[in-house]
Amino acid sequence: MENTFAVEIEGLTKSFKDFKALDTIDLNIKHGEKVVICGPSGSGKSTLIRCINGLEDFDEGKISISGNTQNPKKESYVSDFHIGMVFQQFNLFPHLSVIENLKLGPMKSLGLSEKDAETRARGLLERVKIPEQALKKPNQLSGGQQQRVAIARALCMEPKLMLFDEPTSALDPEMISEVLEVIVDLAREGMTMVVVTHEMGFAKKVADRIIFMDGGSIVEQNSPGMFFKNPQTARCKKFLNQILHH
Amino acid sequence: MFRILILFLIFFTLSSCSSPEGTWGWYVIDPSTKAGWTNIKFLVGGFYSTILLSIIAAFLSIFIGLVVALPAMSDNKLLQLFNRVYVEFIRSIPLLPMLFWVFYGLPVILKSMGINANIDAFWGAIITLAISDSAFTAEIYRAGIQSISKGQTEAAKTIGLNYYQTMRYVIMPQALRRILPPLANQFIYIVKMSAFASVIGMQELTRRANEIVVTEYRPLEIYTLLIFEYLILVLLISFGVRYLEKKLGSNESANS
Repeated sequence: MENTFAVEIEGLTKSFKDFKALDTIDLNIKHGEKVVICGPSGSGKSTLIRCINGLEDFDEGKISISGNTQNPKKESYVSDFHIGMVFQQFNLFPHLSVIENLKLGPMKSLGLSEKDAETRARGLLERVKIPEQALKKPNQLSGGQQQRVAIARALCMEPKLMLFDEPTSALDPEMISEVLEVIVDLAREGMTMVVVTHEMGFAKKVADRIIFMDGGSIVEQNSPGMFFKNPQTARCKKFLNQILHH
Repeated sequence: MFRILILFLIFFTLSSCSSPEGTWGWYVIDPSTKAGWTNIKFLVGGFYSTILLSIIAAFLSIFIGLVVALPAMSDNKLLQLFNRVYVEFIRSIPLLPMLFWVFYGLPVILKSMGINANIDAFWGAIITLAISDSAFTAEIYRAGIQSISKGQTEAAKTIGLNYYQTMRYVIMPQALRRILPPLANQFIYIVKMSAFASVIGMQELTRRANEIVVTEYRPLEIYTLLIFEYLILVLLISFGVRYLEKKLGSNESANS
């Protein structure tokens, strides 16, 4: 049963003690859609995508993933509609080699045989352009390579939706493009994705829709063309000024 | 410090020379005499019990410690409370009173519950050592596991691993390298604390030494040998742990 929306969010609200991180968010994401979320720090961008894959629980509202409503309490879910996640800090497993990092999920969670997992992992390393690093430990790689391994690790689970939480913010400037290229390729292949990023060039290139968040709310959303040319709100104009003319 | 030690030794030797007995009495453990050899065999025979006691107690402690430590990391307040109460309560009890309580008191409680259990000195000592030590191993586990960044657990979750798999394949292999050195420390501590088992009649190293002292009146010589017996044991453990650390890479600085 295919649902038109990959993600449906209704009235999502979450507080950390007195601080309202998310304030009645409504958001629908279509299958195959590429959404970029931007906004000042503390605006709730990360919290929003962490709610989508169950890393954070939430107080009120409803999240449906491909038609299945999720429990507001913290639950991670592997289903036919698996959600992959790439973190700002990579979060690779330092005690495992690159290939073992990739194989762990498919073998333990999906129950693939060692051989099948190996084939799948090798294929993905090829795709993120670092097949020769398979046997190295993560700390022997550059930041950009580590993040590409992290992307491959997420793809190993064959997700239908990929979440990126500021995937290039922890990288040295010269390594940003090699990571973005991989994400752009992924977008071209039709992956549904939500990317939290400040890379506006990237947003222009791949996004179907750009969402601007501030203070836990979605302030503005538009197609990239309209978003950059004609921001509707003062807050968004100010943010774009700061980020584009620094 | 060294000079003080030498002064002390000279004073000690001289004073023992001028004591009513007159001389040192190493003959009690002189292997060339029949009596001395018999004494040595008796004393060294305690190794078996001390080692067995320590190993079983340490294994139990490592297991109980983990069971006590994991609830501390859960989100459930009640489980966290269980961990806190157990650790604070158990580690505040001195070993000797606890040993008496287990050996003399526990059978009474069990009897009132309709269980006729006779706790002998061996198991009394093991239970006491294991429980008493588990509060400390639990804290070691907690520190080790909490030193692994939260991002590791989250990454494990996003590739679909459940709690057990996350612990087994992601957290524990990393935590273990950090846990091993302090855990080895605790094992050495158990070996030494097993000497307390002598007071409830367990025939281990210290008890045997006491028994010979009572018949031979030669505490200095016999307790000196006893100290060296423990020294040998502890050094053996140290070497073993060094080897393990090298294998696990605990001696390399963590880089994550």
